[in-house]
Amino acid sequence: MIMNALDTRSTNSIHGSGLRVEDLHFAYNGTSVLHDINLTITEGEFVCLLGPSGCGKTTLLRLLAGLETFSSGSLFWNGQAITGPSLERGVVFQDYSLFPWMSLVNNIALALAKSHPETGKKWRLNLAEEFLEMVGLADAARKHPFELSGGMQQRGAIARTLALGSPVLLMDEPFGALDPVNRAKLQDLVLAVWSNANPKKTVVFVTHDIEEAIYLSDRIVMLGSSPGRVIEELSVPFPRPRTRRTLTNSPGFQTFQEQIAERFRQDTLQSIEAESAVCGDAEGI
Amino acid sequence: MNAIMAGPKINSPANVPHATWLPANPATALPGVRRNSWLRLQGREGVLFLLGIVLIWQFVSSSIHFAGAYLFPSPTLTLKALWISLPDLLKGTGSSFMVLAPGYALAVVVGIVWGLLVGTTPWMSRMFSPFARFASPVPPTIYIPYAIALLPTFRSAACFVVFVGAFWPVFLNTTTGTASLPQRYRDNARILGLKRTEYLWRIVFPASLPHIFSGMSVGLVFSFIMLTVAELFGASAGLGRFVQLNADYADYPRMVAGILYIGVVVLVTMELLERIKRRALFWVK
Repeated sequence: MIMNALDTRSTNSIHGSGLRVEDLHFAYNGTSVLHDINLTITEGEFVCLLGPSGCGKTTLLRLLAGLETFSSGSLFWNGQAITGPSLERGVVFQDYSLFPWMSLVNNIALALAKSHPETGKKWRLNLAEEFLEMVGLADAARKHPFELSGGMQQRGAIARTLALGSPVLLMDEPFGALDPVNRAKLQDLVLAVWSNANPKKTVVFVTHDIEEAIYLSDRIVMLGSSPGRVIEELSVPFPRPRTRRTLTNSPGFQTFQEQIAERFRQDTLQSIEAESAVCGDAEGI
Repeated sequence: MNAIMAGPKINSPANVPHATWLPANPATALPGVRRNSWLRLQGREGVLFLLGIVLIWQFVSSSIHFAGAYLFPSPTLTLKALWISLPDLLKGTGSSFMVLAPGYALAVVVGIVWGLLVGTTPWMSRMFSPFARFASPVPPTIYIPYAIALLPTFRSAACFVVFVGAFWPVFLNTTTGTASLPQRYRDNARILGLKRTEYLWRIVFPASLPHIFSGMSVGLVFSFIMLTVAELFGASAGLGRFVQLNADYADYPRMVAGILYIGVVVLVTMELLERIKRRALFWVK
């Protein structure tokens, strides 16, 4: 009942299936925020956008969501150009994905009203409770967001994207404000949601936490700052299902983590050197 | 030179707490200091002030004799007058609310709906804002003579001026509310793909409620001003009429009783609105 057969595989055009980002540029007030982004994310893939603050990773996610308009380039989901927000791409924001004046169950029911417009209100409320049960919020259905902890609010936000039935999940540092324990629990919830869905959901997960990116994703897209651009794409070589213990104990984990950190250090150094070169020129005038 | 290097001489030692008159949080400041604990006065300043006023009033009206002393009826005399005229005042209250309630209710409904539409539609804002900027600062009392001349009955004229008095605060605050709508609500509404009417009713309206309620409070005060002023002009019944009539007959105890009674009515009505506001805004921290 929940997963309506959405056979998107038949619409393969020249832009292929999955998310495609081609020659994407985004400038804000004349400043280049994202520069020449090219990315392919296949259907069912879990990809992390990893980068320091200010690298434009949130902007890239908002562009994928259709919440911002890019300056040039193109964006496709399953061969169709992304021109605005759509139910196909659900978003979980860092906080405040839920409306504070609605109870949890009403927040979910509102999403259901959009994804299942021909249904009755009672049916939607029942289904909303089912979704809340799936994320471990069965007892909090009648509560309002302000009565819930940050972790519970994010559970609610995840339940809402499930209710939307979006094949693509866009998550913008969703656990950035949580304590380590809740963070770990929510990471496992996202992994469960991702791997249990049939067909698998495509997840784009923004984070600045290297360990989180390794634990969650199939592939890590590293973004450098000013302007934001892709500096490296890495496949995560560790087999699934992963647990934190086996992952951190597995050979190569430390090296992989260090490799990523080193790549970011290099990029920072490069941009500092580039800046001082420009300043040096200016002093000569 | 050395003296300058040493800085200005500080007379008080550094560890003496300063600015104790300014507590960190005004709400928690009360229980801390207990200078007048032997009289248990703290927390009762409001009642004491009122008591003081009544005492001064009693003193002035009973012990000082001067020409025109009849203009200052004593508290006891006023209270007696209030008791005697209570049936008249209650009847007047009914008559006044028959004017106030429809005028104010209409102003609230029209002000909110129009404010939401104008606040969220660029062309409507461009159309209406210049007019609003011109018309809203006009003191609404100035319309009273014309409204009485123009409209068939006094009641319709009074309703109209109450409406005008309350409309502008409600409307202007509603547009302020729509203008200060947080980006995150917009984002979420777009992600869910809400229709325009749903967006206005389920998102913009509740999100603007804090502003709308402050507009309704100001609007209610204006309503009472408009109502009583209109009744001074030409009513055959009502609270303002009661005061005017007794002034005409130089029955100052009754007149003062009327003024006090109106004060209580306004206070009770405002308190009622405050309770509604607290219930509606339960989700605001």
